[in-house]
Amino acid sequence: MKRILIDAEKCMGCKNCSIACAHARRPSGSLYDIALSDPETESRNTILLDGKKQYKPLFCRHCARPSCANSCMSGAMVKDAKTGHVWYDRHKCAQCFMCVMNCPFGVLKPDRATGKYVVKCDFCKDRGSEPECVKNCPTKAIHVKEVD
Amino acid sequence: MTQRFSCTTCQSADKPLERFVADLPLETSFHRVESQEVKCGFGLQGVCCRLCANGPCRITPDSPKGVCGASADTIVARNFLRAVAAGSGCYIHVVEGTARNLKKTAKSKGRLVGLKALDRLCAMLGIEGADAHEKAEKVADAVLTDIYKPLFEKMELTQKMAYQPRYKLWDKLGILPGGAKSEVFSGVVKSSTNLNSDPVDMLLHALRLGISTGLYGLTLTNLLNDVMLGEPEIRLAPVGLRVINPDYINIMVTGHQHSLIAGLQSRLTSESAIKMANDVGAKGFKIVGCTCVGQDLQVRGSLCTGFFDGHAGNNFTSEVILATGAIDAVLTEFNCTLPGIEPICDALLIKQICIDPVAKKANAQVMNIASPEDEDAILKEITAAYKARRGNVPLNLLPNHGNDNTLTGVSETSLKAFLGDTWQPLIELIASGQIKGLAAVVGCSNLMGAGHDVLSVELTKELIAKDILVLTAGCSSGGIENCGLMSPEAAELAGPKLKAVCEKLGIPPVLNFGPCLAIGRLEIVATEIAEALNIDIPQLPLVLSAPQWLEEQALADGAFGLALGLPLHLGLPPFVTGSPVAVQVLTSDMKSLTGGHVLINGDAAESATMLEEIILQKRKDLNLP
Repeated sequence: MKRILIDAEKCMGCKNCSIACAHARRPSGSLYDIALSDPETESRNTILLDGKKQYKPLFCRHCARPSCANSCMSGAMVKDAKTGHVWYDRHKCAQCFMCVMNCPFGVLKPDRATGKYVVKCDFCKDRGSEPECVKNCPTKAIHVKEVD
Repeated sequence: MTQRFSCTTCQSADKPLERFVADLPLETSFHRVESQEVKCGFGLQGVCCRLCANGPCRITPDSPKGVCGASADTIVARNFLRAVAAGSGCYIHVVEGTARNLKKTAKSKGRLVGLKALDRLCAMLGIEGADAHEKAEKVADAVLTDIYKPLFEKMELTQKMAYQPRYKLWDKLGILPGGAKSEVFSGVVKSSTNLNSDPVDMLLHALRLGISTGLYGLTLTNLLNDVMLGEPEIRLAPVGLRVINPDYINIMVTGHQHSLIAGLQSRLTSESAIKMANDVGAKGFKIVGCTCVGQDLQVRGSLCTGFFDGHAGNNFTSEVILATGAIDAVLTEFNCTLPGIEPICDALLIKQICIDPVAKKANAQVMNIASPEDEDAILKEITAAYKARRGNVPLNLLPNHGNDNTLTGVSETSLKAFLGDTWQPLIELIASGQIKGLAAVVGCSNLMGAGHDVLSVELTKELIAKDILVLTAGCSSGGIENCGLMSPEAAELAGPKLKAVCEKLGIPPVLNFGPCLAIGRLEIVATEIAEALNIDIPQLPLVLSAPQWLEEQALADGAFGLALGLPLHLGLPPFVTGSPVAVQVLTSDMKSLTGGHVLINGDAAESATMLEEIILQKRKDLNLP
């Protein structure tokens, strides 16, 4: 199973991972023209500060025992037995947001523009390469690793 | 020694150079591009604000304003104005130093090479004097008086130099500049913490800085240099790393202030200097051209025989030139003096001498260059470096790089003289459609996009293939010439009509005006052609492109282009795309102010098509076929 591992000590808080994530969902364009003031520009990750004011990059962990999938009643959030990733299908989503409330990392959230679906990491699975957040991290604070 | 330093180096339009760099045992900018590949998106869009202790603030959907309340528009406009002000400051420093040198030369009854240039300049500025030295001193004083004026006093030479329809428009728009230094000062002040927040006001200020930069920093610097150093003469000359002759003590120059080395360069061929070189086993001294001061030497090369063999390369070629091992000293007086040259100089025992502390490199020795004794002291240091390093440092030359027949020496005066002292032949070629239009491909070189000089060279190829005559100035010239586009044989690459013109006149389809300062010469060409046709500059089938702009100075040049009303193409956005207002003003609303606008495209073919469409529209508006 591939996971994004975080080395928070290397994080500089530039938020490149966030811009890259939002940009990854766009059909075209570049970092120059992504609308940074548009509510529809959504990132699936974020960087917070901990109690010691250290950067805490926050990414979907695709948990081994995913509270989001376990609390999902509609079957929109499911654990992929083969890859270990947790996938979300917005068309099956009943908008109960139990997943948002149950995520132990607080990384899931309703979308900002409509509030009708969940913003959830898909590991850039349709892009055929490493997640964009990982590719765009200048300090290698996040990296992809095969784990058991 | 041939072990590669890193695995992936930046590509270049200049393939022999690219291969040479990839095999270098030293690190250059080409090697560092890969490790700097990930760029901060906030920086790219200009929405990172570091103006106060509450920052850095970045604009996101969750944080649409800075802590102070500054919007993306305010943050972008402040950052942009700061950059343009700094860029303008650089060019005003250059014209200030040049005017001071002219004054000093005049007062000491020193040698003035370009007396015709002096007379033309005096006629333009309305200055009279009993003799050349008196005239030159008055010219220098007029320039210095203007640039030292306060913000609230308009500079007086602006009206004498600018094309009158432009001057009237600038007056109407309220963008006539006060003292050039005060304009820089004011730009820095108004973009400081919690002062101006009006993006449009700040963009208009950038236009004022563009005018003072263009007319004073660019145009006047050339004309003052012409008086001191002599005027460019059209000729063919070598370019590329081939110009480096290891039999000589070689001095690489970097900067923009040619007049600073006027005394030194005439000394290099003196008996005493040659003896000094012979005593350590060298044939003599040579200056190896690099960056814009190298281009300035190149265009005036007919007056530099004996100590100057040609221009080796542009800003990002400087590290490579040093890595040949055949350079004994670097003489720096301004940008583009990359910090990357320092470890190379250390490794290859190359002496670093700085003659203007604004370009002080960490390991450079700052030396005066005010008197013959100073010049002697500099030559002694350089000779000592030669003696210490030659034989101990391996040579890694590239003697076949570049070419021997690049056209140079083009200026507003030499080109007009070539055409028979009138622009009429060029106007007729444009009117008949033999030349579809003119494109000024100017500015820097950078290592972004497809790589070093790639967009500049590819865009130039696309334009000439469309029968558009290309005029260049700046580091773009360095790449384009090393790739052979300024040789008469490059006519083969032009469209059929332009090719016929080139073959008839024996010229290449790309005419090199030299350093970035010569953007000022291009402005004179545009003005004189517009004058001959009795139209305003924006009506000309003329476009401006800085495909690989690099630095703040380029942004000030760009602001000049916009003030002139020209379409300005850039390969990369100037860190403004985070502001809807800045984008709207620069790419669209500017047309209703000055006639100019910015267009951004990083693809050579697409950019050329966009520029061609603009030229065709302007031809149509002039009722040309």
